Amino acid sequence: MLEFRNISFSFTGRRDTIEVLRELSFGCRENEIVAVIGPSGCGKSTLLSLATGLRKPTAGQVLIDGRPVDGADPRLGMLFQQSTLLPWRSVVENVELGLEIRGERKGPRRQRAIALMRQYGLAGFERKYPHALSGGMQKRAALLQTLAIEPKVLLLDEPFAALDAQTRVVIQNDVVKICRAGKRSMVIVTHDISEALSMADRVVVLSRRPATVKEIYDVPFSREAESVADAPAMPGFADYYKRIWNALDISIGGMNAAA
Amino acid sequence: MKNIVKQRLLVNCGRLLVLVVILGGTELGIRYGVLSRLFFSSPSEIFVAFEAQWAKGSFLPDLGITVFETLLGLAAGSLAGMAVGLLLPQLRLVSHVIEPFLMVLNGIPVIVIAPLFILWLGLGLASKVGISIYIVFFAMFIPVYTSSLRLDRTLVDALRVMGATRAQIFWKVVVPSSMPSVYTGLKIGSGLALIGAVIGEFVASRAGLGHMILYASGTLDTPSLYLGIIAIAIFAALLSLTVDALGPLLVPYRFSDEK
Repeated sequence: MLEFRNISFSFTGRRDTIEVLRELSFGCRENEIVAVIGPSGCGKSTLLSLATGLRKPTAGQVLIDGRPVDGADPRLGMLFQQSTLLPWRSVVENVELGLEIRGERKGPRRQRAIALMRQYGLAGFERKYPHALSGGMQKRAALLQTLAIEPKVLLLDEPFAALDAQTRVVIQNDVVKICRAGKRSMVIVTHDISEALSMADRVVVLSRRPATVKEIYDVPFSREAESVADAPAMPGFADYYKRIWNALDISIGGMNAAA
Repeated sequence: MKNIVKQRLLVNCGRLLVLVVILGGTELGIRYGVLSRLFFSSPSEIFVAFEAQWAKGSFLPDLGITVFETLLGLAAGSLAGMAVGLLLPQLRLVSHVIEPFLMVLNGIPVIVIAPLFILWLGLGLASKVGISIYIVFFAMFIPVYTSSLRLDRTLVDALRVMGATRAQIFWKVVVPSSMPSVYTGLKIGSGLALIGAVIGEFVASRAGLGHMILYASGTLDTPSLYLGIIAIAIFAALLSLTVDALGPLLVPYRFSDEK
């Protein structure tokens, strides 16, 4: 479905060129959740911006259904770390934003947004402004904003970092369910090993900059656990946690820390 | 609840008392020769001056002219400042070229540039409106320009991923996110518009409240001088109240009290 093929990406700064990604390849099949994890600053978010067409790779291609991405792709939706709700619009106007941009008429798009909000527990908040919502509900509204355009591929860029621990699990669980229900592909970039293990079918570990694919693990927890909250209690979870931690190669207390 | 009502009553009574003391004090002070008639005027003298000006048929036209100059200056200056402030950041190169010129222009005190406007536009209304537009323009341009330079990139990126065109981003993100600054600009500009009009009248004019004040000062007609000041003060207060009332229209989400 989504494929990163031999991606390289460099920034040209004022003095030198910084190589961020080097010949990086992996894919995400239909109805699959892939987590991308790597040391801070390794270029995980850059990778997603290549898929959205916000940036172009220096070399290599991003393909969706075998066709290279060129600019914004209607089959693709992205959930950002920061809020993407426009503060001057009511929640329902935010949810329908993507449809509005595509030129859909007001009646049908409003109906669709209201239906989505009912389905995902935001009924009654249609006319509120985003700031009247709790952090968790804002994130949920942003998720619906992304889902309203019915993307086949969902990209998530450390989307839950700002949420409190309990709200985070609830939203993680929603996202997994939504993704499975729609047989979508999802790539989630994170620095949280537990998040990667409890949500994903595969975990791609990136190396330090210039980032390459270091390891890929197939993990069973997301499909087998009742919910995201149950995953960490499953046998083998701690084992994978340790393996990924080691693969990330972060030294604690050492002088050569990645930070 | 009861306490708040009580407090509000107390505050209003206090305000009334201050007013009574000022009016009664000057009235009695003048009547019993404690205050000099050259420097102060009693409310009754000011009222007599008002009747005299009214009888001459010059008060209403003077008031009307200053009000007209101020409102036209405020409207035109605000629109121009808003348009340039919003469009300039869209044209990076042009903005880099003309930014220093605008900053130098903004630094010139209005009183210094006023004679030039009189020279260009004559003794009539046009020069006063011109001066007013000139200072209001900067009061609006600077906050709007700064806010459009500090646009939330995440919102822009989110819309680009949804496939928004540049025009859509401009109208759906750039313009609405500048509205708080437009409101700030209007608040500052409303005061400056009046200053611009009156300064123009001070420099050279045949009518207007500024003309009336200057004439009264020249002829040692202290009550008419106070009359002019009071008329301007009342107009300034009404203008500021009107602009405050625009807040909930321009930035409704900032004024919605549900948190």
